[in-house]
Amino acid sequence: MVNFSRFTLDNGLRVLVHEDKSTPLVAMNILYDVGSKDEDPGMTGLAHLFEHLMFGGSVNIPEYDIPLQMAGGENNAFTNNDITNYFITIPSGNIETAFWLESDRMLELDFSQKSLDTQKNVVIEEFKQRYLNQPYGDAILLLRPLAYKVHPYRWPTIGMDISHIENTDLEQVKEFFFSHYAPNNAIMTLTGNITYDVAIKLSNKWFGPIEKRKIRYRNLPEEKAQNERRFLETDRDVPVTALYKVWHIGPRNSHDFHTLDLITDLLAGGESGRLYNKLVREKRLFSEINTYITSDIDPGLIILQGKLMRGVKIEKAEEYVNEVIRSLEKINGIVDEMKKVKNKFEASTVFSNTSILNKASNLAFNELLGNPDLINQEVEAYRKVTREMVIEATRRYFVESNCSTLYYKSTHKDKE
Amino acid sequence: MTSLLRIQPPVFPVEKVVIPEAKSIRLRNGVPVYLIEAGTEEIMRIEFTFRAGQIMEHLPLLASTTNMMLSEGSQKYKSEEINRLFDYYGVFFNLSAERDRAGVILYLLNKHVGKVLELSREMIFAPVFPEAELNSLMKKRLRWYLVNREKVQNLASDNFMESVFGKNHPYGHQATEHDFEKMIPGILSDFHTEHYTPDNMAIIVSGKIHEDTAGLLDFYFGDINGKQINVKDSAGLPEGEPIRKVHINKPGTVQSAIRIGSSTINKRHPDYPGLKILDTLLGGFFSSRLMKNIREDKGYTYGISSSVTSLDISGYKVIATEVSKKNCRKTIDEIYREIRLLQTVPVEKVELDIVRNYISGEMIRMFDGPFSLAESFKSTWEFGLDNNYYYRLAEKIKTIEPDEIIELAQTYYNIDKLYEITAGA
Repeated sequence: MVNFSRFTLDNGLRVLVHEDKSTPLVAMNILYDVGSKDEDPGMTGLAHLFEHLMFGGSVNIPEYDIPLQMAGGENNAFTNNDITNYFITIPSGNIETAFWLESDRMLELDFSQKSLDTQKNVVIEEFKQRYLNQPYGDAILLLRPLAYKVHPYRWPTIGMDISHIENTDLEQVKEFFFSHYAPNNAIMTLTGNITYDVAIKLSNKWFGPIEKRKIRYRNLPEEKAQNERRFLETDRDVPVTALYKVWHIGPRNSHDFHTLDLITDLLAGGESGRLYNKLVREKRLFSEINTYITSDIDPGLIILQGKLMRGVKIEKAEEYVNEVIRSLEKINGIVDEMKKVKNKFEASTVFSNTSILNKASNLAFNELLGNPDLINQEVEAYRKVTREMVIEATRRYFVESNCSTLYYKSTHKDKE
Repeated sequence: MTSLLRIQPPVFPVEKVVIPEAKSIRLRNGVPVYLIEAGTEEIMRIEFTFRAGQIMEHLPLLASTTNMMLSEGSQKYKSEEINRLFDYYGVFFNLSAERDRAGVILYLLNKHVGKVLELSREMIFAPVFPEAELNSLMKKRLRWYLVNREKVQNLASDNFMESVFGKNHPYGHQATEHDFEKMIPGILSDFHTEHYTPDNMAIIVSGKIHEDTAGLLDFYFGDINGKQINVKDSAGLPEGEPIRKVHINKPGTVQSAIRIGSSTINKRHPDYPGLKILDTLLGGFFSSRLMKNIREDKGYTYGISSSVTSLDISGYKVIATEVSKKNCRKTIDEIYREIRLLQTVPVEKVELDIVRNYISGEMIRMFDGPFSLAESFKSTWEFGLDNNYYYRLAEKIKTIEPDEIIELAQTYYNIDKLYEITAGA
């Protein structure tokens, strides 16, 4: 059970506090309600590039990292389609340093051309390292625009193209800041060795004076229902062929979310999942196979990816994948498996909540979804999924007309 | 209203870290057990560790394959059953084979401890190494290997280990495609019989430990008696290859990987805490010299780091990064320039203070929560050291002087003796 208290400052900043006296540390998590989905199609990658700029110094503090390290703190951040999330862990005696640093960069950044130029290079190297210089690294760059035609989920967080990053200028960066970074567009969570009273006092002192800002109105194009199979094939210099399939699902808050989460666990929750047992262990068609749902706030995807064993025909492999998915519609034998994945889900939730950082980011994300207490309700929601719900959802979502398929073919000659 | 005087709040010295001592007991058969009480949740981390890592293998892949096959079938349970039952009880388990040690780590809910220990005993002490599962595993591993050979990071790292420790030493030897065929049940079974024995084993438990835990461990593991085999380390001291600069050509890649470093002292050496501090300053954290220069100033890379690793009969330090091909040479020159600076110019007090405080904060994180505590315990225990190592490190963090940093840099970063490995187009 993660107990928490919640309050909102006059400027709209939402603050959640969870006290855990067993640790000498405090975690501070600040979630900004802005992600790559808020970018213009001609300037993708900006939300993530901006995250890098947040470490280049703020209006009153020339360097962000140094004072934090002086206080024994550690920090990092990530950007995804929906959010930009910053987090710190710090010995509790020095928590005020975290308030000082984070409130100053919410107040205003020290926008410098030098910092922008450097971070553009860093992000371009990141683009290369993660997506271009990795076997299979560009698969996701191919899949997104196949599955999404209008919604901004069609581009990845890193950006659609390196040129978008190269072309970003300081004015665009400033505008991005003032239209998305604001107390009324953020959620702060504090977990660990901190009391509610201290949290209120310091929040008011440091974040209270920051004024509300006008947030750019979010009006995202809605993705129309897909009604025919989509398919792409590509040849790449990789050692083995890979199969990718993605299916559209509803938004994060839809009632099917936990059912679909459970389905992907039945299929691929570890080495006892059906796909692994059937296709890796038994039939030896794949060397690895995995499937999961994205936790996107807007309608997301089920993603399935598998690497084929050498000499296996990809069409045949795909047929077997579909057969394993279809097997979920048969009622026999599924009850024990459902109990297994439910137990595993409960355990992973307990393990995840041993970390103050996980608790902080989960609370913040659940607050954004509209209910921070989801952190305590998730196991129950998952437990409530019935086999009828599994069958119904399998029939509804796992259909070819809702699916985009990518054959990522190896150009290497088969030796076997 | 933003006129508030935003004055930096006072920073308090990070409090002295208090490390809980592990309680040490023995099972009937003499197996040592270390119990570390921590955390608020009803969970435990249990690690079974053996001196059965790479150092004991005479063939590449042998230690890791033996370890990975533990969950692939035992006398009582088939592979699917082991995995299904662990999943059913909500257990997360890691099979791990490192350079010196190998074993199994379990993360479990306390309510299932009995059943989980019974399964673990089967997995660890009664594996049968079935041929079909082994063939399938080796095919998979070969696929992973081939994928990894496409990555410049892996090409450079593998060659680095080979160059530093020698082609024929178990720390350095690298698998080739041919080695995957050599893993047959008999060889694995022999390796298991020799090295997965009670006298070669320790159990490290952390979390919310109940009174009956020790008794349960004794019940499931106290009666196991391995054959008394006198195991000798097969390997002597490692010796580096004579060629110190290697480039691995990998056409078509957009980045090059760089690895620069050499073998070095390990935790048992009195200079080790000082070397750790020097390494942090050079490339061990976000505000390190290398990060500031190569990433934050020049933007050549997404990341650059240096690290020092202790091994039982040696150790190594390595600087690692990936950069665009056109910046590769410039980056290497800058790396050497940063090393030379550390060897000649005393570090400023302000910079040294940042490093001191950063590592002090890290030390608090190293002992926060049951999982970190167990890892920190193991990483001194396996060198025959105890918490005094950490207290010495804490003391060194407080007292190290700029002169000492120069001396350490001169002693341990002799540029002529460093290996320089690159992989890329």
